[in-house]
Amino acid sequence: MIYGDRNTGVIVQGATGNQGAFHISLMNEYARSVGGRGVVAGVTPGKGGQAVHGVPVYDSVREAADEHDFTTSVLFVPGFAAGDSIMEAASAGLDLVVAITEGIPVHDTMRALAFAKMEGCCVIGPNCPGTLSPGELKLGIMPPQLAMPGNVGIISRSGTLTYEVVNELTRAGIGQSTIVGIGGDPVIGQTFVDVLERFEKDPQTKAVVLIGEVGGNLEEEGAAATRLPIVGYVAGVSAPPEKRMGHAGAIIEGGEGDARSKIARLSRMGVPIAGKPSEIPALVRELL
Amino acid sequence: MKLLEFEAKDIFRKHGIPIPEGKVIKSPDELYLHMDDFADEVVVKSQVDVGGRGKAGGIIVTKKADVVATATHLFKTPIKGLKPKTLLVEEKLPIEHEYYVSITIDRATRQPMILFAETGGIDIEATARTTPEALRRATFSPLLTEVPGYLMRHLLGSAPRELGPVINDLYHAFCASDALLTEINPLVTTARGVYAADAKLIVDDNALKRQGITVNRDLTPREREAEANGFSYVELDGTIGVIGNGAGLTMSTLDLITQYNGSPANFLDVGGGAGRERVMKAVRLVGGMPGVKVIIVNLLGGITRCDEVARGIIEAGIDQHVITRLAGTNEEEGKAILAKHGYQMLDTMEEVVRTAVEEASA
Repeated sequence: MIYGDRNTGVIVQGATGNQGAFHISLMNEYARSVGGRGVVAGVTPGKGGQAVHGVPVYDSVREAADEHDFTTSVLFVPGFAAGDSIMEAASAGLDLVVAITEGIPVHDTMRALAFAKMEGCCVIGPNCPGTLSPGELKLGIMPPQLAMPGNVGIISRSGTLTYEVVNELTRAGIGQSTIVGIGGDPVIGQTFVDVLERFEKDPQTKAVVLIGEVGGNLEEEGAAATRLPIVGYVAGVSAPPEKRMGHAGAIIEGGEGDARSKIARLSRMGVPIAGKPSEIPALVRELL
Repeated sequence: MKLLEFEAKDIFRKHGIPIPEGKVIKSPDELYLHMDDFADEVVVKSQVDVGGRGKAGGIIVTKKADVVATATHLFKTPIKGLKPKTLLVEEKLPIEHEYYVSITIDRATRQPMILFAETGGIDIEATARTTPEALRRATFSPLLTEVPGYLMRHLLGSAPRELGPVINDLYHAFCASDALLTEINPLVTTARGVYAADAKLIVDDNALKRQGITVNRDLTPREREAEANGFSYVELDGTIGVIGNGAGLTMSTLDLITQYNGSPANFLDVGGGAGRERVMKAVRLVGGMPGVKVIIVNLLGGITRCDEVARGIIEAGIDQHVITRLAGTNEEEGKAILAKHGYQMLDTMEEVVRTAVEEASA
C-alpha cells in the first residue's frame, strides 16, 4: 500500500471512452470484492451529466470535486489531450495521477510533469498499466486474479511482462505488497528511485523485484539508491540498437541503455539478476 | 522520425537561425535555373539520413563550372547504402571557427538538455570520448520559454556571445517541432555572422500528426502496414516469428529464443484488446515474412479471450506452424479449437520457445 488503500477515493479522467468505461467497471468490481470505495466519479469535458456503469460523469475535475471526495485520478484521456488532463488534475489539488494513456507527445509529458511537481501532485506513467495493492486497491488495468497479498514489491516498465512475473510469484506461493507499472515512455513521473523510496517506508514490503528493459539507465539509478533487497530482470538482451521495441522509451541510442551493460552494472551492485522470468521466484525466496 | 538536412534547415530558418544560401534540387537539370545565384565555389550535399555523411563522400566542395557534373555523380552514389532523392547545393561559407550544439530530452531530470562544445565538426564523438569535460551541459525546467541567461553563460564559456541567440532560437525550434533531438554541427562563425552549417532534427513519433507528417519514412513498408493496424513491429532476420501482447513480454520472448539458440524473425506487439481480427492480421503479417519457419503467439492478460484468439489464428490460414501460450479466459476452449487444426497451445513461455526453436532448427 504505497499509493493508497481501500479507502482511497478515485476518479477516472476520460471516463466515457471505451477504455475508460470498461476499466471503471473492472476497478469497481475489484473495489467491491475487497470492500473498497473505488471510482466515485468520472470526468470527460462535454459529457457532464452522463453516467458510466452507475458512476456520475462531470465536465471538469473541479466540478467532480464539488460533489465527491477523492485524491487520486486514473487517466485514459487520448494522447493529444492527456498532458492537459494531468495538469487539470494537479491544479485541482489531487495527490496522485495514474496516466494509463499511450502515445502522449513527450514534450507534453515533460511540461505536464514539471507542472504537476510544482502543484505537489505525484504522477505514475504515462503509458503504464497502473498499480495494484492486492486485497486493497487497483488503480489502472492490471488483472488482479493473477496476484495475491504478500511482502514483495514489484516495479516494472512493462505491463504484461509484469503480469508474467506476478503469475510466477503467485504460483510459487510468494505474495505481493504493491505492484507498480511505471510506464514505457522515455519521460515518466515515478521512476525506480521514487517507487523504491516508498517501498522502503512501507512496513509490508520486505523485498523488491525490479523489471527493467532497454533504454536509459533509471534501473541502475534506482538500485544504487535503496537499502532494500532487490532481484532484477532486464528485457531486451536480443534488441537491436536504434530500434524502438514497442515502448517509446525502449531504444538503445548512441550506444547507451543496452540490456547487457544494464545487467552488468546491476550485478556489480550485488543485485541478483534472473536470466528469465521463471527464475525470479527462487531468487526472491533467497532474499526473504 | 528523422528529418533530412534541408527539412531541418527549413524549420531552423522559420525560427530565425541563419542558414547558408542554398537550393534543393531533385535532378541535376534544375541547377541551370539557379546558376546566377551561385558564387564561384559551392558545396553539394547528398540528402540522405546517415551519420558521418561527409567522411563517406556525401559532401563535395566544387567550382561553379563543375556543379552539374558533381550533382550528377552524387545522385548516382549511394552513401552507406542509401541513394539520395534530393541534393542541397549551398554557398561555401568562409568559416572562422566550428562549434557544436545539440538539444535532447534528459530522461533522468525529465528536462530539456543542451550540450555545447567549443570545438565542433566531424570529430565531436572523439572529443566526447577523450575530453568529456569539453562538452558542457545544461538542463532546465521545460516550463521556461527561453534558455536562462546564467545557463547560457555556463554553456558558452569563452565562445562568442553572439552564439547565445542562435542557441535560444534552436530551443524554440526544438519545442515547436516536438523534437526528441536537434543538433547543429558545426555551428560556425564567419566574418559576416553565425550560421548553422548542418542541421539535424528527429521528430517525436507520437507527435507526427500534429506536426503535419503523414508518412513515417523511418519505417519499412511492412513496418508501416503494421503501424496502420496499431501494432508495434520491428523486423529482424531470424526464422521464428513472434507475436506477443505488451512490449516487455514480447521482448522477453525474443530474449528467450536467443537464450535457447534460436533466432527471432521479428518483434510484434499486438497491443491491448487482442481479439480475433487483430490476431488474424498479425499472424498473416508475420507469416508473410520471408524466412519465417514457425510462429510463436504469446498472449497474457486477464481479459484476453483465448477462444477468439484461437479462431483468429486459424482464420489467418498460413502455411507455417503456430505455437501458442494463451493465458486469459476460455483457455480450454481455445486449446480445443487449436488442437483440432493441428496447432499447439502450451502452458509456459519456456515450453513454447523451446518447442519453436526445435522446429525451426529441424
